[in-house]
Amino acid sequence: MRKADLVVSLSFMALGIIVVFDSVQLGFQWGGNGPESGFFPFYLGVGLIISALLVLRNVRAAYKKGGWGGRLMPEGALKSILWVVVPATAMVVLTEFVGLHVAAALYLGFYMRAVGKIGWVTTVMVSILVPVSLYFTFDKFFLIPLPQGLWGAMLIPF
Amino acid sequence: MMEDINNLMMGLGIALQGYNIMIAVIGLVLGIIVGVLPGLGGANGVAILIPVVVTMTPVTGVILLSSIYWGALYGGSITSILFNIPGEPWSVATTFDGYPMAKKGKAGLALVLSFLSHGVGGALGVILLTFFAPVIAEFALKFGPAEIFSVMLLTFSAFVGLSGKSPLKNVIAILFGFILAAVGMDIISGQLRMTYGTVVLMGGFNFVVAVIGLFGLGEIFLTVEEGLKVEGIVARVGLKDIREGMKEIIRYPKALIIGALVGCWMGLKPGGATPASFMAYGFIKQSSANKDEFGKGAPAGIIAPEAAAHGAGTSATLPMITLGIPGSPTMAVIMGGLMIFGLQPGPMLFKEHADFVWGLIASCWVGNFIGFFLVMAFAPVFASVLKVRFAILMPIIVYVCAIGAYAVSNRMIDVYYMMGFGVLGYLFKKLDYPIAPMVLALVLGDMAEQAMRQALIMGQGSPLIFFRPPIALPIMVAALIIFFWPVIAPWKAKLFAKKGEKSD
Repeated sequence: MRKADLVVSLSFMALGIIVVFDSVQLGFQWGGNGPESGFFPFYLGVGLIISALLVLRNVRAAYKKGGWGGRLMPEGALKSILWVVVPATAMVVLTEFVGLHVAAALYLGFYMRAVGKIGWVTTVMVSILVPVSLYFTFDKFFLIPLPQGLWGAMLIPF
Repeated sequence: MMEDINNLMMGLGIALQGYNIMIAVIGLVLGIIVGVLPGLGGANGVAILIPVVVTMTPVTGVILLSSIYWGALYGGSITSILFNIPGEPWSVATTFDGYPMAKKGKAGLALVLSFLSHGVGGALGVILLTFFAPVIAEFALKFGPAEIFSVMLLTFSAFVGLSGKSPLKNVIAILFGFILAAVGMDIISGQLRMTYGTVVLMGGFNFVVAVIGLFGLGEIFLTVEEGLKVEGIVARVGLKDIREGMKEIIRYPKALIIGALVGCWMGLKPGGATPASFMAYGFIKQSSANKDEFGKGAPAGIIAPEAAAHGAGTSATLPMITLGIPGSPTMAVIMGGLMIFGLQPGPMLFKEHADFVWGLIASCWVGNFIGFFLVMAFAPVFASVLKVRFAILMPIIVYVCAIGAYAVSNRMIDVYYMMGFGVLGYLFKKLDYPIAPMVLALVLGDMAEQAMRQALIMGQGSPLIFFRPPIALPIMVAALIIFFWPVIAPWKAKLFAKKGEKSD
């Protein structure tokens, strides 16, 4: 738990440093017409660095008292979370090629069958009906075009 | 007063058009479903529908968005009471007594009590909105950049000083939100910031995408981690329950009134419905004669937090339309929706788009009213949504989230951002970093920066402009006191403790 706290506050500090560098490059002082572009971000960055340092101090104090503390997530949780994250990411990547609706249909089918152990009939029904109805709602009814990907236009001919 | 009522009538004329009523009902039904489902909240429901709303007229669009919020406020309680799982963060306090009561076989009564309290809390919030919003807007017309900035500072100080969570982590979340808002084009000078020469970062971060990731996916990861098991109590709301509920609720006027008042008060400040419900619960428990009853199905333990949650939800509209500062994350997203229409919430909205503002206020009346009857009549039907297996619901939610994130500005990169924000949201929750202030900072970032820089230009570089009387000074002082409250409070306690020792 405290390890994660440590890592996150260190990343915030790194972000703060990046922001400060960028603001200094942009100019963070008083320019010809008021504060320059980097003015506001500069102080945000400085504030972030200081707060992250204070969090680090708290983490250190807590570490001295009670070691690293409990786990960030319960046993086995990482696995089930990865089972959600990885297929979802795969869907997003797949969208680049076959479009969102087709990718989602594959994703729904895969998740329900492989992870959820849902029966074949339900799996097929849901993974076809849901994308089709969402396709008609968004793309056809509200005229909001969703990503087609490289080959999506060929896959959905209507 | 008369003018307000006339305006309200005009607004009702808009809100009661057949098409708008239909949209309100659709919004409410979607909202209740979103509310019932744990892991999909009001903020998220609204965010996903923002792209759809753009195709409508502004009034109809805002009716849809706000109806989702009212629906979600009602819906969260159903899950809390019947399944002992909070459907929404603001209905956590309802599980304490709502579920025990339902377990005793009085599920129908618990639901009726909850909905009635919602109705009363909501009504108080809407009354407040109707009669105070014009006054506050009139007052806020006098605000210059310095005043606007001081009000924003007060808003964020409230998170730091009063949220009860780690003040440091609140500060970090706020700064992080502001930094994300600053990425991209500088609105004043037109210079690019923190883009590192990439086209991708030029567009900046859209907060709707952030909301969908942080609230939607983040919640899903948490739910998956906890291994959601849904075991509910079957309930039917009969006429007998309604009669009994009415009788019961009159016996607890204190819980009802305190709950609604706490809610409305908390809704005005940022933080919104969730802390309000906890506060009201604690309050009523402390002041109750028989504390042992609480946790075992005490009616007051349902009434107070529910009235507070809905009061806070509705009164959060007030700072949003009068000052342009949303009182809750969901309101922040609704405000984002208004900004897409080119409507800048704030005092000028009352002058320039009176029909829109009053249409919105009237729709709060109409939406809360219709929502009340919808949940009363169909609570068991909505609860049956939870019978759908999580393994089916979850990928559909992810899919819908992806649609929402993409459609905001038709950029594929936003879908990747959404995934990133999802992981971030999960980490934030685990490590106790608050999400709401970060979202608010992301929404208000550009406005806050603009106000600050304009004020500094007016003051020719002197920060003293933020302390100019009569308006900015007291707000700024209050903001500073609240900000440093976590430091002041223990110090004060020590001081008093020492005095006590001396007098012994």
